[in-house]
Amino acid sequence: MEVKSSDSKSFKQVYEEVFPVVMRVAYHVTYNLDVAEDICQEAFIRFYEKNIDFPSIDEAKYWLIRVTKNLAINVVKRKSREQAMVDKIKKMPRVPIRNGEQELINSETRTLVREAVEKLPEKLKSVLILKEYADLNYKEIGSILRISESNVKVRVHRARKIMESMLDREEMHVS
Amino acid sequence: MCLDDQILNTYLDKELVEPWKTQVEEHLSYCTACQKRYDQLEQLHLIISQSRLQEDELNNSKKKVLSFIDKNYLQQQNKVKFINREFRIKTPILLSSAAAFLFILMGALFIGRGIQSDSGELIPSVVLSNGGGSVVQVRATEALAANQVLENFSLEEILKYLDSKGFDVDLRLRTIQLFEQNGENSLANE
Repeated sequence: MEVKSSDSKSFKQVYEEVFPVVMRVAYHVTYNLDVAEDICQEAFIRFYEKNIDFPSIDEAKYWLIRVTKNLAINVVKRKSREQAMVDKIKKMPRVPIRNGEQELINSETRTLVREAVEKLPEKLKSVLILKEYADLNYKEIGSILRISESNVKVRVHRARKIMESMLDREEMHVS
Repeated sequence: MCLDDQILNTYLDKELVEPWKTQVEEHLSYCTACQKRYDQLEQLHLIISQSRLQEDELNNSKKKVLSFIDKNYLQQQNKVKFINREFRIKTPILLSSAAAFLFILMGALFIGRGIQSDSGELIPSVVLSNGGGSVVQVRATEALAANQVLENFSLEEILKYLDSKGFDVDLRLRTIQLFEQNGENSLANE
């Protein structure tokens, strides 16, 4: 199905389908809900204003993920330059506390994962986030980051290796 | 030979192609060490993946951002569309009225020229500048007859007549020079 980004019907359809993925990418790069929300808003406004024709919803999705990822990484870079701002962000409420019975994974584990992801070098972080949180395959990740599939494969492996070394498996609990 | 982590990760992500995929499955079926390592990697993947921002956590943002864009962009587009649509209806009317106006104007010009050529071929400036007695005289007679009458007089006689009537006759030198040149040329040709 062809997608015209400035057509409000197409826009809403893409938004409905793609927003959760885009929001996850923005969130897991910045780990701040408000910042992630602003980034998503910016990405979708750009999407609307650019008035691009996409051959499919998936192509529109890859475009949006690429823009969101770049915006989010820029925010993180800017924030890390301003150390004070980083501290401020960390003091801000992260994610609303969820009902313990509903959650698949406990909040301590989530915090540990978050801290490990934040420490990853940018190249590995992007690939890992697109793999684990945007549920994309190697080919899709490659086309978004403009790298080869085999490069994606290697980066996924390296990222997981570092994640494993940073996470203490004894503390992890998956229901 | 046992499997390395990269192959196991690729297999875990369902990205391993044949024949490697079948070989890995076969190996895992009997090698407990590799099976154990695969379980660890799968567990790691689940821990990372399930630490994701959940659907209910992002729904609020989803509504908020959409309502902002809807209000500031999508509805604005509808307004613009409405104006465009109005223009699209108006444009043909504007064009056709402009065409009609031009048609009438052109018609008027042709008619004007027609009158000039009939009545004022010899003394156009007189006819145009003084719409008085002489014009009435010409118009009173038939156009053809008027030409015939004028042809009976020389230019000098006509000028004298007009002068006596009080008309200010202006003959441009440039026109005369052209006439002379043409005359010389035609003489030379002969």
